[in-house]
Amino acid sequence: MLKFFRSTPGLVAILFVVGLISPWVMPNQYYQHIIVMTLMAAVMASSWNIIGGYAGYTSLGHAAFFGLGGYLVAWTNTHYGWHPFISVWFLSLIVVAVALVMGWIALRTQGSAFVVVTIAIVFIFRLLALNLGSITNGANGMTQPRPGWGGAQWSPELFKIPFLYFFLVLLCLTIFASWWIRNSKFGLGLIAIREDEGKAESVGIDTMMYKVLAFGISAYFVAVAGGIYSYLFTYIEPGFVFDVFVSVTMVLMAILGGRGTLWGPVLGAFIMQPLSIWVVGAFGGSSIHLTVFGGILLLVMLFMPQGILPAVSESLNRRKQVQSPAQEAK
Amino acid sequence: MSLPSAHLFIQTLILGILVGGVYALMASGLTLIFGVMKVINVAHGAFLILGAYLTYLLFQWFKLDPIISIAITMPLFFLFGWLLQKYVFSRIESPEQTSVLVTFALALILEGLLGAIFQTTARSVTPSYSTATIILATYRIPVTRLAGFVTALVVLLILYYVLERTRLGRAVRATIQDPRAAQLVGVKISMVSAFTFALGVSTAAAGGSLLSMIYTFNPASQGDWVAKTLAIIVLGGMGSLPGALIASLILGVMEQLTAIIVTLYWSPIVFYVFLFLTLIVRPQGLMGEVIREKG
Repeated sequence: MLKFFRSTPGLVAILFVVGLISPWVMPNQYYQHIIVMTLMAAVMASSWNIIGGYAGYTSLGHAAFFGLGGYLVAWTNTHYGWHPFISVWFLSLIVVAVALVMGWIALRTQGSAFVVVTIAIVFIFRLLALNLGSITNGANGMTQPRPGWGGAQWSPELFKIPFLYFFLVLLCLTIFASWWIRNSKFGLGLIAIREDEGKAESVGIDTMMYKVLAFGISAYFVAVAGGIYSYLFTYIEPGFVFDVFVSVTMVLMAILGGRGTLWGPVLGAFIMQPLSIWVVGAFGGSSIHLTVFGGILLLVMLFMPQGILPAVSESLNRRKQVQSPAQEAK
Repeated sequence: MSLPSAHLFIQTLILGILVGGVYALMASGLTLIFGVMKVINVAHGAFLILGAYLTYLLFQWFKLDPIISIAITMPLFFLFGWLLQKYVFSRIESPEQTSVLVTFALALILEGLLGAIFQTTARSVTPSYSTATIILATYRIPVTRLAGFVTALVVLLILYYVLERTRLGRAVRATIQDPRAAQLVGVKISMVSAFTFALGVSTAAAGGSLLSMIYTFNPASQGDWVAKTLAIIVLGGMGSLPGALIASLILGVMEQLTAIIVTLYWSPIVFYVFLFLTLIVRPQGLMGEVIREKG
């Protein structure tokens, strides 16, 4: 029994149950807001991890997929009344198609050049959103009807709970997808690409195919998150979503927890997101929260670039070695 | 959308070249730093904006001309860059993988601080000649653009002289060509790195001073400038100074033409289109080595 709770399905089950009870234990709207945003951040960081962690390609372009998901939901909701909780699942497939094309171009480059190209992707989408005013309403952004179901709006006190549950389910799905990829031949191929792309290619891995596919999959969950995010706030604006900063938050969370590990990005999000909500609240409308965020990013990059989970497991391994010197180090 | 007349076309060409010269100065530091250290300095835009605000303050307090203030901002930034390299960047392991995130962190820190001090109000430096134009054979040339172009060329010439004629400059060029061979013949990489980073950051000071009188700016506009200068150095070939110069002129002209033929709002798309085309057609840029290096 104990063994089950230490396996991935067990941990996801614990996460799911805790998430289910949380709004009834904490009826405070502000705490519920933090939980919703944290679950969303964990989805995004875990999803980013598929290309950024497993394959080692630092994409700063994922804000584009977040925003695109948001705009597609906003547009179909206002024009056709499609309910985002349902439509977002297939609308995000459109985003995946876009991501596959973008990835096909961007993934010809490696290292820092790849990062530059993905930054450009975000800027292109921002420019499109700003200038295609007849569709996106330009810099004024798009508004959506207040969230509800079947013509009835959700009451203000219970308003956050459907979103909390949505993101909880989404996070569980994302973790399972990431877990499945990690244990599959596909995931092994991605890790081989991260370790040595030339060698991976020489043993017969279609590296381009693998990378583009990973890029597309990692765009999916980010797009779903973006769609529901725009529904939650009933408002979306180019400068808010098509911002490299949004991508960097995913990267920081993944790196902080442990890039390339299954649970690292979730842990990173659970630490960073409540912290940044608190910082934004504490400094009001001032932009100083950017400085705090940048400072944390700098410190993590300088002093803990491998992340929390790898650092912890390394020190645990070391302790084990001291206790049983006969056991050979991995 | 309409095709411009010949007169308007030449007028646009002139403006594009003038702007391109300023872009060349802005991008020179970025490409130089990449050439030597393989660091993509995403904070370059924030450095430009910091330089612009410094120029703004000097103008507000002492009525100092933005071009003259370069003599103050450049040495300050040189020192700033030297310290940054010595205490921050030299600590990074495997800069090719992490440099973008570290410099992005730096950009956020600066943007946050500038935002806290100056708010989001769009500002610009307005010397007495800020609205003056010269009319040359029926073509109108704004004085700030012309002054910016000439100043950029002068600073670039000084940069060229430093790289071509001084011992340290030769060491920088040797490191760009072949770091290992440079080390073998006695070039101290740590010294060259600090010097290059300081030099690159100081060009951002000059670029920022020019920016402050030609454009309006606020702390958040650093992102747009990073995107522009990155597109320039990718098109020019990362690490290549002459490439950056040619790319700047091409993109400056294309941007102005787009502004005339389509609209001003679409003109930034030129940079991203060229960036993508370069990567698909010629990943090494106009001049420079293949950028498909493993990072």
